[in-house]
Amino acid sequence: MIEFAVEMSGVTKRYKHFTLDEIGLRLPTGSIMGFVGANGAGKSTTLRILMGLVHQDAGSVQVLGYSMPDQQAPAKVEIGFVSEDMRLYGSPTLGWHMNFVRSIYPRWDRAYADTLMRRFDLKAEQKVKGMSHGQRVKAALLLALARRPKLLVLDEPTTGLDPIARREVLGELMAVLADEERTVLFSSHNTLDVEQISDQITFIDRGRILKSSDKESFLDRWRRIRLVLPPESKLPGLPGVVNVRGSNRLPVVTTDQFEPAMVAAYQQIGVGVQSVDAMTLEEIFVASVESRREGSAL
Amino acid sequence: MNWSMVRRLIWKDWYLNRAGILFSLTGGLVTLGLVAASRGSQIAVILGIIVVVTILIGMGAIVMASIVAERKQQTLPFVMSLPISYWEYTTAKILGSLLIFLVLWTAMLASMVATILLAPGFAHGLIPFVVIMSVEILMSTCLVITVGVATESQGWTVGAAQVGALSLNGIGWWIVRFPDIGRAMSSATVRWSSTATALLAAELAAIALMMAFTFFVQSRKKDFI
Amino acid sequence: MNSSIVISQSDGRPMYLQIMEQVRQKVAVGEWKPGETIPSIRALAVELQVSVITVKRAYLELEREGVIVTQHGKGSTVARDPDLGPRLYDQEFEDHLRQVVRIGMLLGLSEDEIAERLRAIAMQLETEAS
Repeated sequence: MIEFAVEMSGVTKRYKHFTLDEIGLRLPTGSIMGFVGANGAGKSTTLRILMGLVHQDAGSVQVLGYSMPDQQAPAKVEIGFVSEDMRLYGSPTLGWHMNFVRSIYPRWDRAYADTLMRRFDLKAEQKVKGMSHGQRVKAALLLALARRPKLLVLDEPTTGLDPIARREVLGELMAVLADEERTVLFSSHNTLDVEQISDQITFIDRGRILKSSDKESFLDRWRRIRLVLPPESKLPGLPGVVNVRGSNRLPVVTTDQFEPAMVAAYQQIGVGVQSVDAMTLEEIFVASVESRREGSAL
Repeated sequence: MNWSMVRRLIWKDWYLNRAGILFSLTGGLVTLGLVAASRGSQIAVILGIIVVVTILIGMGAIVMASIVAERKQQTLPFVMSLPISYWEYTTAKILGSLLIFLVLWTAMLASMVATILLAPGFAHGLIPFVVIMSVEILMSTCLVITVGVATESQGWTVGAAQVGALSLNGIGWWIVRFPDIGRAMSSATVRWSSTATALLAAELAAIALMMAFTFFVQSRKKDFI
Repeated sequence: MNSSIVISQSDGRPMYLQIMEQVRQKVAVGEWKPGETIPSIRALAVELQVSVITVKRAYLELEREGVIVTQHGKGSTVARDPDLGPRLYDQEFEDHLRQVVRIGMLLGLSEDEIAERLRAIAMQLETEAS
């Protein structure tokens, strides 16, 4: 078993109005990574390069040990890919699509496909062109999941789905991981979903990777600290400060390198620590992006 | 090259376009049958040829439907998520369209030659000309396929179909000017000249070049989606 | 193997702490007995729809506390300490007491006032039960 299902390094792609700049990504086998970014940040492009559908201008891409894009044909035997802009053929039925995919992939699990149809509330006789958006997304996911791929690459799998459907899809994504040799990479701008089920999280903004780490590290290291400054005093510069908001007397410090010793450090110099709050992934993401954009604007 | 995947992709395209394919094939073959049954009355033959050529141009529309439509209907990501590279995709598109066309084309050529040889009132010397013109029609269709696959654009493909159809006339007149061809047309026996061979060779070379060019363009595409 | 653990999304605490608390409670109440096999990290993650890394962390901390034992390749079991249940229950009681006292202090109550309130509630519950 390979250690990393996905290894991207130095991947660059230049378009007229957008550049993907030195993208690096490492996804350990058996884990699930949430790829978070605003619209237009480069999530879809990165995933397409990963699938060999777009050729990078520079950098190396290894997926399941295969070099992309040259070895995309054998690689894709083991990969299930669903993207938001993907459409199935309109006039045939879901059943036709299932037969078509089943004839190609030897590991197609018929029983699982039937289970998914029930769970996703889909019918084999239904024509694709008559499906709602949510049904189409679930149909495409079914076709990818039932072939039991070693790697699932999903571009915005829960976008546009109602809460019930979202929960079902997240449940199926997690079920993939019951097998520790299977891996999932999904992009989303829904930070709640990412926070809940991801092992690894990567932030991307304007074509650059901001941060890539395991989820617990993110949630552990980011804190919002509410301080009370004594009058006539200035806020000391401590390391790891991402931004400072609030007022002069009541600053709120956001840090991405929190240590419990920080509290003591502040108190020792006479600064009152009112509270230390954990941050949601959404707040962490927004703070990262803002600090990056402000930094680059300087 | 994964030929089993190529076969599946071709089958998929044939299935999706089965209505249009069936219509063209039956229409074309029925017309040819009628022409044969009429025992080569001049008017029937001319009408028959016009109808067949129209159907052949209609085949171009089918080609467009199966090739350009993938991008228009956004099914390209789905197809390319299958275990294939641009080799299998391109081969399947070219072969899939070509095979359907060749059925009609072979029937057309065979029945024209048969009519000329068997029905009264036709100079057998027409045959070289008929063969060359038929290959010319094949060339036009190959042009449509090449442009369709390479550009994936409806505009360009329609343009190529029009160029192909219009040039039939012009090329026909140009070929007749060759003394070896023109004079042979009225003879009672088949006179295959070296000019005819050269023209045929040029057409076949052009077809081969177009196919190679298509694969070349596909290999250079860096953004397949 | 259904663990019947339920976690709340709106609970402000980190997910792994919730899981730890629930596992401790199950052992304390006796639902999960000493030496009994408990769901593997992956299985629990899939069931709760929570990332594997979170469950892994919870199990690690629980092992450090001596509540469970994880053997690589063999899964996890409740620790074989016969006192574990009552000890955990006692630990939880202690935690709750700390909470009560802390809040009482914030409200400005004295030690005696806090003890008095406790006694009053204990008596009230006793009368309700009988």
